[in-house]
Amino acid sequence: MSRLPLSLRIISNACASLVLAFLVLPILAVIPASFNAASFIHLPPHAYSGVWYQRFLDDGEWRSSLMNSVEVGLLATVIAVVLGTLAALGLRRIEGRLRGIVTGLFLAPLIVPVIVTAVAIYRSAIDVQLNGTILGMSLSHVVLALPFVVINVGIALRAVSESWLRAAAGLGAGPWKIFRTITLPNILPGIVGGAIFSFITSFDEVVIAVFMAGYGNKTLPVKMWESVRLEFTPVIAVAATVMIALALLLFVAAERASRAGRGQPS
Amino acid sequence: MARRHIETAALLAPAVITLAVLFIVPLARLFSLAFTDPGGPFATFTLLAESQVYRRVMVNTFLVAIAVTAISAILAWPLAYVLSRLKGIWFAVALYGVLFPFWISVLVRTFSWMLLLERNGPVNRLFMGLGLTDNPLPLLFNDTGVMIGMIHILLPYMILPLYGAMVRVDPRLLQASDGLGASLFQTFRRIYFPLCLPGLIGGATFVFLLSLGFFITPALLGGANAITLSMLIASFVTDRLAWSLAAAGSLALLAMVFIILGLTARLLPVDKGIFAR
Repeated sequence: MSRLPLSLRIISNACASLVLAFLVLPILAVIPASFNAASFIHLPPHAYSGVWYQRFLDDGEWRSSLMNSVEVGLLATVIAVVLGTLAALGLRRIEGRLRGIVTGLFLAPLIVPVIVTAVAIYRSAIDVQLNGTILGMSLSHVVLALPFVVINVGIALRAVSESWLRAAAGLGAGPWKIFRTITLPNILPGIVGGAIFSFITSFDEVVIAVFMAGYGNKTLPVKMWESVRLEFTPVIAVAATVMIALALLLFVAAERASRAGRGQPS
Repeated sequence: MARRHIETAALLAPAVITLAVLFIVPLARLFSLAFTDPGGPFATFTLLAESQVYRRVMVNTFLVAIAVTAISAILAWPLAYVLSRLKGIWFAVALYGVLFPFWISVLVRTFSWMLLLERNGPVNRLFMGLGLTDNPLPLLFNDTGVMIGMIHILLPYMILPLYGAMVRVDPRLLQASDGLGASLFQTFRRIYFPLCLPGLIGGATFVFLLSLGFFITPALLGGANAITLSMLIASFVTDRLAWSLAAAGSLALLAMVFIILGLTARLLPVDKGIFAR
């Protein structure tokens, strides 16, 4: 197997390339569709124009859904980063069974099917009238974002040696000073990575948001979900392209953050 | 020491309490609704199990999940293998190709497939241009469309654990097998495949679990012709306000997930697979 015959090597390379193309290329189909000049979606478009981008920006509902998404995403990110960073610091100080149980609790939202989480949160949100509010949607997204912060910061924390902290304490630094001058600078890339993951998780989330949004305060994916089912115009492709562009931007930012993290001494 | 314990508890408490209030309590409250039906505590489960319609939905959910898992495994194998052999720039290109879809919203990817699989869409035009078919194939609003969309979204969850297993296979074992006179197929069957099996099982578990709970993709690509358990749960809530049935369906879905996780937990590379978004 270390030396596959040439014929098999060509076949496996060809298959792998096809599968890779299957993974990447279909995603890009929405981009030409968004520059369609006609009023119906056709791929590839017969004529290109930016008219649907104008429509997207002029339409109050699309614009406000984009603003809502940004707002919900930022609020969820701030809450998740603060709670998740504290939790990662705490998780490092416990051991054995307890650590397993707490880690399991943080991972649970990734394992429970989202539809179940969505229905459960929606039901409780109705009782406290948080459904249909920005705060309600942000809090529900915190549940999904928290694991990513705990994991990212947890990985960054591995690079912070206990002996540095003891040395600093031995030299008379207080806990806050140790955190500010040693721990924080070292885990900052992990925090930034966790924040980016949190934001994109919230920004792309649709299942919980569909239930929570109700009639007011739709996020961009919710507005898109409704339009796909009711109208099916090229403006949906514009929304999809906006989401891809933002994801790419954050992907590059996350890469930079993780590279900065790897540059730290360990 | 006591002071250290208090500090640790204070660090963990905000996140733990938040998850308890926003996640655990709502789940417990939802599940309790499953037992509040006027017909008796287990009436909802009996109804789900005995109705032919609901039973067909559950069987369909299972069959689609099994098919998606099997096809993903077949597609993932060559790409994971080549990925485990590549070095330098080509490795980076291929790895980013696998990771890139993780960053794109499931809704966007599903919408893309709606454009591609249409009656007069690019895929059908390509098939007709190649002479594979005379009339457009029905690729959308049925199980075929659902499976194409789900495989596209879940494939990276299969590739990454499989790649993780393949890259750890010691090439000297294969050389030794080769040197001892084993044929290529024998080496594959008795050395390479067994060593990759944990990765395969890990990937298959992720893909199968995620398939069972899929909602957006089957709802858009399958529509009324390919209803899954999660679509049923959603319609209990939004169309019928049948909360006890939604709760029973949710509990059944979660139970399936935990049973499968329990069966394969030991083989799962948990910290590797789940967190690759």
